[in-house]
Amino acid sequence: MAPGSDAVVEAVGHRTHPLTAVVRGALLAVAAVLGLLGSVFSGDTWGDVPAVVALGIALVGGLVLGMVVGFAGWLFTRYVIDGTELRIDSGVVTKSSRRIPYERIQSVDIAEPLVARVLGLAELRIEMAGGKDSRTSLRFLKLADARALRRVLLSRAHGDDVEQAPDERRSIITRVPPERVMIGTLLSLDFAFAAAGSLVLLVLATWFGGVVVLLGGIVPLATWLAQIVARRVLQQWNFTLSRGERGLRIERGLLSRTSQTIPVDRVQGIAVKEPFVWRRLGWQRLEVDIAGYAEHGDDDDGDSSSVLLPIADRALAAAVIAELMPSASIDVPHIAAPRRSRLFAPIGWRFRWVGADAASFVAHEGWIEQTTSIVPHRRTQSVELRQGPLQRRRRVATVEVHTPKGPVDADGRHLDEGEAREVLLAQLERARAARV
Amino acid sequence: MDNLFVPASGTWQPVSPRLATVRRIEIGAVAAVVVVVGLVLLVLLGDLRWIGVAVAAVGLAGGAWGWSWAGRNQRSWGYTENADDLLVTRGVMFKRLVAIPYGRMQFVDVQAGPLARAFGIATVTLHTASTETAADIPGLASGEATRLRNRLTELGESRGAGL
Repeated sequence: MAPGSDAVVEAVGHRTHPLTAVVRGALLAVAAVLGLLGSVFSGDTWGDVPAVVALGIALVGGLVLGMVVGFAGWLFTRYVIDGTELRIDSGVVTKSSRRIPYERIQSVDIAEPLVARVLGLAELRIEMAGGKDSRTSLRFLKLADARALRRVLLSRAHGDDVEQAPDERRSIITRVPPERVMIGTLLSLDFAFAAAGSLVLLVLATWFGGVVVLLGGIVPLATWLAQIVARRVLQQWNFTLSRGERGLRIERGLLSRTSQTIPVDRVQGIAVKEPFVWRRLGWQRLEVDIAGYAEHGDDDDGDSSSVLLPIADRALAAAVIAELMPSASIDVPHIAAPRRSRLFAPIGWRFRWVGADAASFVAHEGWIEQTTSIVPHRRTQSVELRQGPLQRRRRVATVEVHTPKGPVDADGRHLDEGEAREVLLAQLERARAARV
Repeated sequence: MDNLFVPASGTWQPVSPRLATVRRIEIGAVAAVVVVVGLVLLVLLGDLRWIGVAVAAVGLAGGAWGWSWAGRNQRSWGYTENADDLLVTRGVMFKRLVAIPYGRMQFVDVQAGPLARAFGIATVTLHTASTETAADIPGLASGEATRLRNRLTELGESRGAGL
């Protein structure tokens, strides 16, 4: 079922892969079992039913239910690729037909959840700008089909009218070794806190002999720890950043693999993050704002999909920034927060500054984790000046450069009020000059 | 600094005083309900009638404060159409000024509830690709709201810069 292969098929549309039902069943079963495991550990019971039987019921029930729902969904889902748009018709009872004009596509990602990966299947995620509903998923296609479809969609998003896009030549920028990601995680403060907390509680619990209250504390801490490990280590495993004709490509993941494309002209801003210990070692993390991406924060890997580089030294980070924003520089004249703003941030005020050069607006803040946000002038969505009663008394004000939702927050908080106003007016002027 | 929230060029267009009236009616209705609840409690509760007195007093005080707030807040709103951006200001205690380049607008909404419609006012809301851009202008006379929406849409189209 190669896209656009047959005129007759074209009119009716393509189907996703029949094994979709199996994958969805397995995913639902796993979710049900995980949900039950949580309540088993927190000590809930179901009358006389032993935990193992309940887990078995959840496994089989989830599998059957998921497969039935998945099969019905598969039967009624078709996608059509025509000259101007991708159309996806779905729905068993309530029919829905979604049209995706090619020029509105922000990015196209391929995700391979573990279950799907075992069967050689993949999910195609198409991001459009704006709104909660801006992501469209095609579940599931054969990996090769998903890749071919992505190439076609990306080519058409760039205005090339092609039926079959050739595989693009790509050159690898960097490959982040897994041990580096692990060391970076071990040296981050929230991991240290979660690990030390769990350990202390575990020791206390064994010392005093199974105190239930302490166990109640361990479960959320251990869950947090597991989430940190999953997000920072498993999902960033074998992180590979490469450069192609259509932008950067990220491939990552140990169990579930994800392949993202970041079109260079769709990057709205970059945040350079330097956690406490990392800074001493000269390490940084890069995150990006891409319209539509951050709307899915509740997703299991919503947070990690905006990571551009999980860990890198300064030279490499600078090279990647230069790749995305050739004229950007964080070496701009600083407009720093005045000493009288220490009321609002007793330590942090020393680290707050904003600045701008001909190409971009830069904001810096944070003392435990220092963050530098870079927003190109032509990506400025709107500018805001704010002042509360306490700020008025201290003659300070907050200026914000708005970007689409995401990790980048270009705010200059508690700056001198006169300077804040100057920044606002100057930024409007720079944004205007950059748009034409 | 007094001129912190003054536009660089032009003057602030005020919003309709009818906004204050509409809000006073809404606040008055809520306050009246609270006062009535207080009076009912006063009658029903024997020894605890001070609770009823307290509830009624809170309703009255809230209504009085809301009455004066509605006026001050209405006077604090302003907008101005510059050559390239729309500027909106608001707030008495917490002041805000938002500047939105016309080319950044994704779409414009006009909304009016039943009470606002009865008084002939509407709210115009601008949306950009950023959710942080909270640019709504309440209390525009209906004709002005329509004019502003059409003009903004037109400007947004002619200067649209994509994302």
